[in-house]
Amino acid sequence: MTALAGYFGIVLAMASAFVLALLGLRGMHHPHRVSRRHLELAVFGLMAGGGLAFLALELGLLADDFSVAYIADHSATTTPFVYKLATGWAALEGSIVLWGLVLVVFTLTVYLRSRRDKEINPLWVGALGIMGLITLYFFGLMATIANPFQVCVEAASIGCLETSNVPWATAMAPLEGPGPNPLLQNHPLMAVHPPLLYIGYVGMTVPFAFAISALIRGESGAGWLRQTRSWTLVAWSFLTAGIVIGGLWSYEVLGWGGYWAWDPVENASFMPWLVATAFIHSSVVQQRRGMLQAWNFILVIATFSLTILGTFLTRSGIIASVHSFTQSPIGPALLWFLMVILVGSLSLFATRIHLVASSPRLTSLASREGVFLLNNLLLTVFAFIVLIGTLYPMFAEAVSGSQLGVGRPFFDRLAIPISFALLLAMGLGPITPFRQARGSVVWERIRNPLRVALAAGAGAVLFGNRDGYLVLGVVAGTFVISVILRQLWVTASRAAAKQGTPVWRSFWRTMRSDPGYWGGQLSHIGVALLAMGIAISANQGADTQLVLEPGQTAQFAGHEITYLEDFERDEVNRLVLGARVEVTHSGNTVVLEPRLNRYARSSQPVATPSVDTSLRGDFYLSLTGIGGGRISLDVFWFPFIWLIWVGGVLAAAAGMFSLIVKKPARVATGAEEESERV
Amino acid sequence: MSESLRKILAGAVTVGLAIVVVVGIVIGDSTPQDRVQALGSSIKCPVCQGEAIADSPSETATAMMDVVAEKVEEGLSDDQVFEYFRVRYGDGILLDPRFEAKTLLLWLLPLAAVGLGVVMILRRRQAPAPTVSGEELS
Repeated sequence: MTALAGYFGIVLAMASAFVLALLGLRGMHHPHRVSRRHLELAVFGLMAGGGLAFLALELGLLADDFSVAYIADHSATTTPFVYKLATGWAALEGSIVLWGLVLVVFTLTVYLRSRRDKEINPLWVGALGIMGLITLYFFGLMATIANPFQVCVEAASIGCLETSNVPWATAMAPLEGPGPNPLLQNHPLMAVHPPLLYIGYVGMTVPFAFAISALIRGESGAGWLRQTRSWTLVAWSFLTAGIVIGGLWSYEVLGWGGYWAWDPVENASFMPWLVATAFIHSSVVQQRRGMLQAWNFILVIATFSLTILGTFLTRSGIIASVHSFTQSPIGPALLWFLMVILVGSLSLFATRIHLVASSPRLTSLASREGVFLLNNLLLTVFAFIVLIGTLYPMFAEAVSGSQLGVGRPFFDRLAIPISFALLLAMGLGPITPFRQARGSVVWERIRNPLRVALAAGAGAVLFGNRDGYLVLGVVAGTFVISVILRQLWVTASRAAAKQGTPVWRSFWRTMRSDPGYWGGQLSHIGVALLAMGIAISANQGADTQLVLEPGQTAQFAGHEITYLEDFERDEVNRLVLGARVEVTHSGNTVVLEPRLNRYARSSQPVATPSVDTSLRGDFYLSLTGIGGGRISLDVFWFPFIWLIWVGGVLAAAAGMFSLIVKKPARVATGAEEESERV
Repeated sequence: MSESLRKILAGAVTVGLAIVVVVGIVIGDSTPQDRVQALGSSIKCPVCQGEAIADSPSETATAMMDVVAEKVEEGLSDDQVFEYFRVRYGDGILLDPRFEAKTLLLWLLPLAAVGLGVVMILRRRQAPAPTVSGEELS
C-alpha cells in the first residue's frame, strides 16, 4: 500500500513536471498561448505528487511497513520517533525524495508569486519551465534507479534480501530491520541538519532557473536578480544554518572535539556556500551600478552546478574510492546531469551573453564596487581551492592509480590568509562609498573602530595570548564589528538629532529604513564572531588523555577532574555505558556524564561527549574506553568556542532580515540618505 | 585641552596599541607547540574518512599517534617521521601534499586563479579608450 501510494506520487509528479516544462518553454516565447489554468494544474499536480511520495515514505516509516525495502533496510521497530522521521532522508533514495519535496515547494512558491502579475510574465513562466525540467530529472531518478518504494519480495531475518521495482509485487516483509546507522541516530541535530542543507541547496535552483530563462529570452537588466533576491537569501540562510548545524553535530557527536575537518562531504557543502556568498554580493553591484552582468550569470550557474556536484560527491561513493562509484548507477546519473547542466548553460551563456550584458566600467578601484570585486575574487578563489583540494586526490587516483592525501594542512595554509583578507574587505567595504572613495572619508569612518580593534588585540596580548593568528583574529573581528556599530551609531544619532528623539530609539528605525544593508551588516557581525571563535578556540584550546580509577583526581587546564562512578542504562534502541565525572573550576562543581552507546547490530560503540559550557569556554569530556574499573577520557578545553555557534546562527538568521523586516512606506529620517551615501 | 594636543594624544595611543599588538605577535608564540600533535594532524588515519590521526579517537589512530611520539622521542626530524609513515602506508597517508611532479597542478592552479582574477579586475577599470568589451572579460 505504501509502495503503491508513494510510487503513484512519483509518477504524478513526473507527469506534472513534464507538462510544466512544456508549458514553460512554450510560454517563455509566447506567453499568451499558455493559460494560467494549465500552469496551475501542473504546479498543483507537482505539489500533490511530491507531497504524496514524501508522506507515504514517512507514514510507512512510522508504521514500520517493512514491505517497502527502503524501510526494512534502514529502520527498525525500536527506532525512536524522531529518528524514524529522519530515516526518511538518511539514505540515498529517501534523501532524493526530500530533495524532490523541497524542489516542488520552491516551484509552488515561484508560481504563487508569479500570480501577482496580471498577465503571464514570460521570464517567470520560463523559469517555471526550467524548474519543471529539473524536477522531472529528480523524480525520474526516483522512478528508476533510486526508487525508494521498491517492494521487498524476499525477507531476510533482519532487513530485505530481494527487491522488486514493481510497486504491486507481492510483498514479503521482514519482521525487523537493522535500524539507521548508529551515528545518525545518536543526536537529534542529525534530523535537522540535512533538511536545512537541502533547502539551501535546492533553493539555489530558483535563481538558476531565472538566469537560464533570462538568457534564453535574451532579457537584459537586473530584473531576474531582483525578482529572485528573496529566494537566494532564503537559500543562502538555510545553507549557512545547515553547515553550522553540521559542524555542531560533528562537535557534539563524533567526540573528537572538532567541528570541521575539511573532509570532502563538508567541502561539498562549503563550495556552493562560498560561490553563493559571492553571488549575493556581486548581485548588489549589478543592482546598484549595472556592472558585472555576465559575471552574475557565471556565479549562479556555478552555484547550482556545485550543489549538484556536492550531491554527486556525497551520494556516489566516489569519496571512499574512485572505483566504487560505478557500483551504484546513481553516481554516473548525477555526473551526466552535472555535465548536461554545465555544457548546456555555459553554451547558452556563450551564445546569448551579447544580448544581456553591457557593463559600465569601474570608475575607480577605490570604491565600494572595488571592494566588492575583491570580495568576489577572494570568495571564488577560495571555492576554487576547495574544489581542487577535494577533487585532486580523486583525479590522481583515477589517472595514476596512486593515492594522494590532501587534508587539513593544505586547506588551512590557503584558507587562513584568504579568510583574513575577507575580514579586512568586510571591515572596509560597507563604509566605502560607491563610484569613487576619498581616503579621508574612509579614514574618518574606520579611525575609531581601528583603535578599538587594536585595544582588543593589545588586551589579548597582555592576557598572555601571543599566537599571531589569535591576536590577528581578535583584531580583525573586533574591527569589523566596531566599524558596523560606529556606522549604526552615527547614522542613528544624526537621524535622532534631526527629529529630536533619543538616539536609542533611532537604532531600530535606522535599520528598518534599509533592511538589505543592515541585514548584511548583522550577517557580517555573525561572521566576525565566528572567525574570532575559530581563532581563539583553535589556538588557545588544549587537550589531554586521562585514565582514571574511581575516586582518582587529575588536573587539567585549571580544572580538577574526579571520576566518581560508572553507570549503565538500557534504552529502547541502545545500551548506554557512562561515567560520572566531577569537574571543579574555581569553586564551581559540575557532574558530567560522557557516555558510550552500543547499538544493536553494530560492533563499534558511538560516543556521546559531555560538555560544560560557560562564557569562558567549553570543558569537553569524551569517553574513549570503560571497563576493568577504569575509564579513559579525551579531555578538551576550548575557550570561547560558543562564539562559533552564536556567530554562525546570527549570520544565517540575518540573511533573512531583509525579508522579515519590511521598509516602512515613508520614513522621514536622514538614515536612508546616509546609507545611500556610504 | 587644545585640539592639536588631543590629536597627538589620540595618535600616540593608536600607535602604542599597535606596537603592543605587533610586539606581542613577534615575541611570539608563548604556547609551546606540541610537535607530536602537529605531526599527527598531517598524517591521515587510514581507517577513517578524511580524518587525521590526531583527530580520530579510533584505536588505529591512537596506536599511530603513539608511534609518532616514539619517533619524536628518538629524535627524528619532521621529514623523517613523515617518510617513516610514507614508506609503510604510501603517499596517501600524508595530508599535506608535497610540491612534486604529480602535485604540480594542485599548487599551481590556485595561483593561476588568483593571477587571472587580478588581471580581470585590473582590466575592468575605466580605460581611456575602451578597447575590450565587457563580455570578453567575463
